[in-house]
Amino acid sequence: MKNPALSVRDLSVFIGDQAVVDRVSFDLYEGEVLALVGESGCGKTKTAEAIMGLLARDVKNRRTGSIRLGEQELMSMGEAEMRRIRGREISMVFQEPMTALDPVFSNGQQLAQQFRRHRGQSRSQARDSAAEMLTRVGIQDPERIMRSYPHQLSGGLRQRLIVAMAMACRPRVLIADEPTTALDVTTQAQVLEQMTKLGREIGTAILLITHDLGVVAQYGDRALIMRRGKLLENQPVKDLFAKPENPYTGSLIAAARELST
Amino acid sequence: MRFTAGKLLHGLLLILGVTFLSFLLMVWFGPDQTYSLIGKNASAEEIASVRHQLGYDQPFFARYFEYLRELVTLDLGASNASGEAVRSLLARTLPVSLALMIPGFVLGNLLGIALGLAAAQHRGRWPDRLITGFSVSGMSLSFLVIIIALQALLCTPYGLDLFPVRGWRVDSFASYLQYATVPSLSLILVTLGYNTRFYRAVFIEEYGRDHIRTARAFGASTTEILWKHVLRNSLVPVITRFMFSIPLVVISGSLLIESYFGIPGIGLATFEAITSGDQPVLKAVVGLTAVAFVLLQAVTDTLYRLVDPRVT
Amino acid sequence: MMAMARTFSRLRKDRSGLAGLSIVALFFLAAIAVWAGWLGQDWSAADGARWEGPGAAHWFGTNVLGQDIFERAVYSVRTAFEIGLVVALLSTVLGAVLGAVAGWRGDTWVDGAITWLKGVLDAIPFYLFVAAVAFALRGAPWAMHLAMVATFWTTTARLVRAEVLKIRSLDYVRSARAIGLPGVVILARHVLPNTTHILLVQGTIAFVAAIKTEVVLSFLGLGVQDGVSWGLMLAESTQEVLAGHFGNFIAASGMLFLLLLGLNLLADAMQDALDPKQAAL
Repeated sequence: MKNPALSVRDLSVFIGDQAVVDRVSFDLYEGEVLALVGESGCGKTKTAEAIMGLLARDVKNRRTGSIRLGEQELMSMGEAEMRRIRGREISMVFQEPMTALDPVFSNGQQLAQQFRRHRGQSRSQARDSAAEMLTRVGIQDPERIMRSYPHQLSGGLRQRLIVAMAMACRPRVLIADEPTTALDVTTQAQVLEQMTKLGREIGTAILLITHDLGVVAQYGDRALIMRRGKLLENQPVKDLFAKPENPYTGSLIAAARELST
Repeated sequence: MRFTAGKLLHGLLLILGVTFLSFLLMVWFGPDQTYSLIGKNASAEEIASVRHQLGYDQPFFARYFEYLRELVTLDLGASNASGEAVRSLLARTLPVSLALMIPGFVLGNLLGIALGLAAAQHRGRWPDRLITGFSVSGMSLSFLVIIIALQALLCTPYGLDLFPVRGWRVDSFASYLQYATVPSLSLILVTLGYNTRFYRAVFIEEYGRDHIRTARAFGASTTEILWKHVLRNSLVPVITRFMFSIPLVVISGSLLIESYFGIPGIGLATFEAITSGDQPVLKAVVGLTAVAFVLLQAVTDTLYRLVDPRVT
Repeated sequence: MMAMARTFSRLRKDRSGLAGLSIVALFFLAAIAVWAGWLGQDWSAADGARWEGPGAAHWFGTNVLGQDIFERAVYSVRTAFEIGLVVALLSTVLGAVLGAVAGWRGDTWVDGAITWLKGVLDAIPFYLFVAAVAFALRGAPWAMHLAMVATFWTTTARLVRAEVLKIRSLDYVRSARAIGLPGVVILARHVLPNTTHILLVQGTIAFVAAIKTEVVLSFLGLGVQDGVSWGLMLAESTQEVLAGHFGNFIAASGMLFLLLLGLNLLADAMQDALDPKQAAL
């Protein structure tokens, strides 16, 4: 087995004295899609924030454990170092595309920003890289999209733009926190399709956070089930649906089947 | 183009409303100046002729339309009290008021922005509490209290005695500083509390937005986030605040500050005109205010368009 | 109803809000005491020497006429509350009514007219308008109150109108209209409870503004005509301070500051209880 792109060991997040994430451990491999599933409030987002070092800077928030990105130990990194890594080696995409982009900058500016900041490209180089990236996420007429502003795009287009921004620097890991929950079903499929395809091309390991088992079944290679801060299962998706180890997983699957009939 | 026409109509209605209301208050209900112009023993004919001169014998709407006509043609007449042409009165007092009020107004806002930003960035911690505490205290101080206290502290032998108590004998930059400092300081102190709290709320809202989270997730530094994302996006509420506090702060403020410090600006002139019923001056000031307000709205709208791509 | 209950429970936990409430309550009791004739009754008695310093007989000394400054300051609490309560109540009610009407009949000429009126009143520089009204109605003891109410109602109206517009399109309101309930009843039964918190906060703010405006108007000679108020005391003190007599100034400004601080803290606490996002923790 190759070395994992991301290796998390005993990660815990405390708010005050309460552990909202309790000794979570998993590995994430290059090119695969690892789904992180659970109900709302189970700690999925906090896990992602902890990995990215984006926990709210409150005295009450604390994280312990080990997060290894390749050779680097992210836990011991200062903010300045983390900033260099964010968006470049490890990226994150959020749930609500309608408010995720800065309204006063054009789409092209925001995408090109990634190339200028992390790859040191000049303005014109960055513009070309941006146009190319947009084509790669399946956006037709990239020039027009780049000239326009976020408020002129639909939710699906915005999310694809954000995925483009996230993948621009060919990161080793992409964390996608419920990236399509706010979109309609057809658009969901388009965005997820594009994202996972791009991930396989570039070799990015994707941590796909979702509460939708249908998404897990269709796009996931392996799956983690989380409940109240603890990891209950860690299996390839096929096995998960066939033989869930934990009764909680069973009930999730049963509930999902009920809803879809 | 259609859009601008709608705005023009709106502005026009506003001007009409303001002028009508002011005409009603100041001219119709204002003091009767007949007797100040002729003695007490005037004959009935003299009284009638003076009243005719002053236009008092005309019906209400005739006088109102005459008023509007005068405004539009800038035929502002002469002050009843001093005989000076209103136009020259305005030319004399307006620059004084502007020179007096603008620095204090601008500084009051800039400081408010700085303090509000500091409070928002350290939200919940002691710098925030301290700043909020000062801001609430500032809001609880009456304008008059601040002016009197500053005067006592800076202009009298009981304090520092650095500045003149009142007046406006400005012929150089040094003398300008001398006469403008204490009034400007009072203006800053009065508005600072309100400004700080307003800007603090604006920045807290901006910092909490989703796109800031995105920026952080993509590696933006604190400075970048501050200047490129937070401040840039705050421009709309900042501009709104700035522009729309001009009538209150600059115009009303000048009335109070100039009366208190004896500075011959337009605020003082207006106040004297109100209390003595000097209608030509009042008509001019009110008309100007209304027009200025509409212009202000137009400028603000243009600024919005420049600053926010979502505004068409 | 739920909003009110939640508001009060949050309020109880807010220390500065409680401090504000206590201060205001204290002043209110003082005002009642003055009104009932137990305190501050000697405010016009000129039985001291001119500009006596603070001492046993006169705690803050006397003013130019030999009147006891402390008595005058205490009596002014009543004046302040009279003005504050009247203006706050009237302007809030007026604002609520006009705002509700404008919101309920949104997109009709009624709404347009009220909004236009709001715009006009906002366009006129505040003190100019108030001075003009106070002067135009001079002699009438309520000139000042009228002027203030006439301008203070606009903010409340704007907020209430927004709320009504929001509520108007909600399902339960639509069904109420569908079964023929008259607008007034719907407004009273459904809209009013949801706007009470807005009205409370705005009312408090109006109280503060009223007192501050009175101070300025009294200085300009257009405010309180008989009786005494902090504004009049401060107006007196402007010359006195230059000559080194600070009694009037300290007494009036001190009490004024305390009451305003209490009111502002209370208003803030009520505001925060409604919208926790804005709280300074």
